Amino acid sequence: MNSTTVMKTFAETDIVDAVVIGSGAGGAPLAAELARNGKTVVVLEAGPAFTAMGHTPDEIAARELYWLHERLSAGTNPQAFGGNNSGTGLGGSLLHYGAFMPRMDARDFHLHTETGKGVDWPFGLDELLPYIERVESFIGVSGPASYPWDPNRRYAYAPPPANSAALKMREACDALGLRHADGPAALITRDIEQPHFGTRHGCANCGACHQGCRNGAKSGADNTWLPMAVAHGAELRPGCFAHTIERDSSGRVTGVVYRQNGVEHRQKCATLVLAAGAVETPRLLLTNGLANSSGQVGQNYMTHVSTQVWGEFDEDIRPNRGYPSLTITEDMMRPRDADFVGGYLVQSLGMMPATWGQNLARSTTTRGPAFARALAGYNRSAGMGINGECLPRPENRVTLSNETDAFGIPKPLIEHSYGPNEWAMHNHAANLLSRMWEAIGAKDIRVIDRAAHMIGTCRMGTDAGSNVVNPEGRSFDIDNLWISDHSIFPSAAAANPALAIMALSLRTADAMLKA
Amino acid sequence: MSPPPDRPEILDSDHLSARTREILTARLSAPETQPRTLSLQAYAVLDALLPVLLPLDEILPPGTDINMTARIDAALSGPRDGWRFANLPPDAEAWEAALLTLDDVAAERHGICFIHLAPDLRGTLLDAMMTGQLGLDRDGRLSIPQMTRWAGDLRGEVVDCVMSDPRVQQALGISSSLTGGDTVFQGFTEVGPDSREDFEPKATAPLAQMADSRE
Repeated sequence: MNSTTVMKTFAETDIVDAVVIGSGAGGAPLAAELARNGKTVVVLEAGPAFTAMGHTPDEIAARELYWLHERLSAGTNPQAFGGNNSGTGLGGSLLHYGAFMPRMDARDFHLHTETGKGVDWPFGLDELLPYIERVESFIGVSGPASYPWDPNRRYAYAPPPANSAALKMREACDALGLRHADGPAALITRDIEQPHFGTRHGCANCGACHQGCRNGAKSGADNTWLPMAVAHGAELRPGCFAHTIERDSSGRVTGVVYRQNGVEHRQKCATLVLAAGAVETPRLLLTNGLANSSGQVGQNYMTHVSTQVWGEFDEDIRPNRGYPSLTITEDMMRPRDADFVGGYLVQSLGMMPATWGQNLARSTTTRGPAFARALAGYNRSAGMGINGECLPRPENRVTLSNETDAFGIPKPLIEHSYGPNEWAMHNHAANLLSRMWEAIGAKDIRVIDRAAHMIGTCRMGTDAGSNVVNPEGRSFDIDNLWISDHSIFPSAAAANPALAIMALSLRTADAMLKA
Repeated sequence: MSPPPDRPEILDSDHLSARTREILTARLSAPETQPRTLSLQAYAVLDALLPVLLPLDEILPPGTDINMTARIDAALSGPRDGWRFANLPPDAEAWEAALLTLDDVAAERHGICFIHLAPDLRGTLLDAMMTGQLGLDRDGRLSIPQMTRWAGDLRGEVVDCVMSDPRVQQALGISSSLTGGDTVFQGFTEVGPDSREDFEPKATAPLAQMADSRE
């Protein structure tokens, strides 16, 4: 991370106003907002501080951006972690995220009221929208001049050029009569001076968003919120793995114990914010036996139904080039022929070769020359993928396994199985996307059944008996403990989570400042 | 002067950062051939199954060996990808047990060990494993559900090894490593169909020739 300011530091004996565990989409906006309002803030980040130009498009080496502490994956749809789900380093998962930045659909806040299934959020889009607009404006989001599903919306940056997959998806949408647009992408398409950071360059269409943006075009926390936090006096501490939450006799949090370079440290604080994600946040609470009078910590684990359909074309597609997922259609947010509740977004997909090959390898059982031929088709391949609602289910949860990690802390066990709604959505999407590719002459069409993202596990709501935090993100059990990440989402919604996480983070910061 | 046959041209591109060049170049050298993680027996089974699972003779120039067995064995002792199936033991242990399971099943079904089976019989065993029909319920071996999960891990690991190899990228005409250099970060100017830029490799692999012949 660059910064134009010298960072302030705090002594471990200082009682800082807030310690924030995690420096990604959940922790960074809140840290910046608290610091900007004069609060003393220390951000503990388990991973290192990367430099943008040091990122490499090599997918194996770029695993350094992923959370690699081993997780155990179970259930009938065991989820792959590592790549694409959980990050490490100053900036968190925003270092490797795809920057696809749709807004949550207003209907997804009230799924239960609409359908009798799932869970409502304790507020609607109107409550979150001002925060969403602040996030978009501050970090930089590109999008079309007119967004078909929300004509009043405006984006500050023009979209990047459409790559082969984006152009193919436009054709496929046209063939089936679906609307399409350039999707909102959290990247800038012209050079700017980012306050407190310095120069960010316009997107160079290198295609390696998931391996770390090398020129600052992608809007992460490392080039936006964190430099702002530092400029206002926050301290960022990379390489600090927090594991123990200390409390006084009344049960209030007094500090955090963390390990840095093999040495235990303790930071005292008046308030603690957990922003470690939907697996590490509940893991911290479960290992410390905290904030769980509801019994809901770790429960209601959700993902997104993220079915992909790939096809081969006669042209030289080169799916590694250009912003990977530009074209969007929101026409499936409530499809008329749905046999499921909720909806899904469709996006075009380019992809780097090992990631693409992994998906192919794990979703098929081809072998021998046929397997080699499939891999040799990389440069002729284009994909589409969805992100769709996933209902909470009692069997889907994060618990502590019987195995311990290098720190002696139990490894998390994540159980994930699709229910009827997820399967119905997967089948609907597999059918639609296959028809779209067939309509424009794609060959060797391949459906990949997969889930992505991690959501839920510390649900937000109004009832202390069935929720972990209140509608502002504050623990019902411990009044100086707050949670700011996607673990508090009551429902998965269809949109990629980063924008809502950042908006909620600003909203929780507001609530903390008023508390 | 043409580059030595084992050094792909993409490694000399100024669209490659020094760090990426170093990462890719390291993959050209074989790791120590002695197994680092697996037993000699398990290593031999892995060596015998890879060409049946994913033959590279129609992708790479004749005589090119990317040392997949040694690289996978070495990778099993390095940093892993951050998760595993809960019904499998830790990766190194799972790979050892899975490969010995294949060897035992080969002996039970055909009376000889896996490495001496004809390629088509090795392939039949792999097919049985991938479709949930091969496993052993005994200590130190993997059951049918475990072997089915491990088959996915095996396929994923093989693909990581293959697609991240600069010789394969060169042969398939893949430009994913060429995102930009250190002094100038070029990215790509052309991103639409049929618009290969001059610095991007053309496919040379027989399997990928068809596409390029249309350019």
